[in-house]
Amino acid sequence: MTSNSDELVMNPEVSRRGFLKGCTMAAAALGLSDAMIPKLVEAAANPQKPPVVWLHFQECTGCTESLLRASHPDIGRLILDIISLDYHETVMAAAGHQAEEQLQKTIKEYEGKFICVVEGGIPTKDGGVYCKISGRTAMDILADVAPKAAAVIAIGSCAAFGGIQAAEPNPTGAVGVRDLVSGTPVINVPGCPPNPVAFLGTVLHYLTFKRLPETDYLGRPLFAYGRKIHDHCERRAHFDEGRFAEEFGDTGHKAGYCLYKVGCKGPETYNNCPTARFNDAGVWPVSVGHGCIGCSEPAFWDMMSPFYERLPGVPIPGGDGIVASAESTGKKILGVAGAAIGIHAAVGIGKRLVKGKSDDEK
Amino acid sequence: MNYERQYVWSILFRLFHWALALSIVVLAITGFYIHDPWTNSVLEGGGRFPMATMRYIHFVAGFVFTAALIVRLYLFLFGNRHERILSAAPVTGRNIKNLFTTLAYYSYATDRHEHRLGHNAVAGTVYLITYFFVIGQMLTGFYMLYPESATWQSIGGPLFGIQQQARFIHYLIMWYMFIFVAIHLYLLIWNDIKSPEGMISSIFTGNKFKPKHDRA
Repeated sequence: MTSNSDELVMNPEVSRRGFLKGCTMAAAALGLSDAMIPKLVEAAANPQKPPVVWLHFQECTGCTESLLRASHPDIGRLILDIISLDYHETVMAAAGHQAEEQLQKTIKEYEGKFICVVEGGIPTKDGGVYCKISGRTAMDILADVAPKAAAVIAIGSCAAFGGIQAAEPNPTGAVGVRDLVSGTPVINVPGCPPNPVAFLGTVLHYLTFKRLPETDYLGRPLFAYGRKIHDHCERRAHFDEGRFAEEFGDTGHKAGYCLYKVGCKGPETYNNCPTARFNDAGVWPVSVGHGCIGCSEPAFWDMMSPFYERLPGVPIPGGDGIVASAESTGKKILGVAGAAIGIHAAVGIGKRLVKGKSDDEK
Repeated sequence: MNYERQYVWSILFRLFHWALALSIVVLAITGFYIHDPWTNSVLEGGGRFPMATMRYIHFVAGFVFTAALIVRLYLFLFGNRHERILSAAPVTGRNIKNLFTTLAYYSYATDRHEHRLGHNAVAGTVYLITYFFVIGQMLTGFYMLYPESATWQSIGGPLFGIQQQARFIHYLIMWYMFIFVAIHLYLLIWNDIKSPEGMISSIFTGNKFKPKHDRA
């Protein structure tokens, strides 16, 4: 660790070793053979760096942070090394008018050639007034920049699907990039935050093959989001053998058993967390004893919560916001059905007692 | 009163009925286990696979459920005259009239009702709604069984949303099935008491009994 931070201070350039390591990681994530690594390296080392415009809307900058503040800085620096980041509000030196001029210059000069990265959801309600940068709404900026880009990469669940802003009741009418941009290819790299390797793999795939990687029906690259977390989880054997943590801190939890009963959403989530892992330290939520919360799926704040139960709660209409679990709702409906049957039977018996047997029974 | 034996439900129809009914029982029990595994092996090295076994039984029963549905859809088109879709669907004038008279009969508003060998229109309508949910249950099930198949993703994604939404719908439809079964059994017994045509035994033997003078 010390040597790395020293290295970072002494030499802001990425080392050759780190460069090759990053390209190899991306090749592994993409599922490419090692014969392709030189091609990736060549594409990444091309002095003609593609200009990138990075737009920040309704977001927490967590995606940028996770990219730049990895324990080893190689991936973040590699990305900054292979692209020419012309506009990025968090890391650029320019500010105010200077920064906005830079944005205009890039999208004019490199029209149809630059990559647009979007971080954060886009509010659409009331003309989009809930997110403004330099006097322009997020909708305006996106409508200005996206059609001129060669491709749009939506990084994080907010840019991909609206994220937490789009959760019920979605007060600002937030949506993801794909809901607003058509004509320009859009790829979603969702997650809260997404693994930097998924982003690096997407960029390197684009640089090497001059096209975006194959995606699923939600626009997510298949190399990272093609498989379910549950099917590659290191705790899967405990699931099949029926060994569960019943609650956090119990014997089962301490023994590393399956987190299914404490609400793990691994069975519903597509991501490569169990294989790619995070922070170069080989960890991911399930490995440290916390269930998956399904952060790379659309509407996860609504559908995946409560995070520690298997299914979302059902609000009872007219119940003043009281939320009961689906199971108790089901039991109530069943109770009503049972009562209806009981009443029906009672009326039938009562009527028979009063009127006697009907004609066809005689 | 003299009764006459009449053959109503074909063998294939009765097989469909029991395949669907038994698969629903198995699916509900194993489905509940998958939803909330009530056992906990705890000890390692026991060689028990409760979840894997329950899932296996659930999937096999799911295929029986699907096969039963396919047989029913076939019988809707090519079954005998009591089994075809138009015999009880509320689309013909006769069936729409029967729908209201049967509802009145079921709510004790009248004692008069049209004697039918096959389904009455209330049953026909409820069964159509039920098959709609059965199809939804089957589609959500296959969407979850083959989560990485591009085909099932392209079907399940637009119809139901993400896996978690499909799971949720799958769970809610199970409760619909429970309600349906409760009312289904109640009305069968009720009908059997009200008119002794042998409605319950007909699903075992295929025969119903009709008052002789009723014959048209």
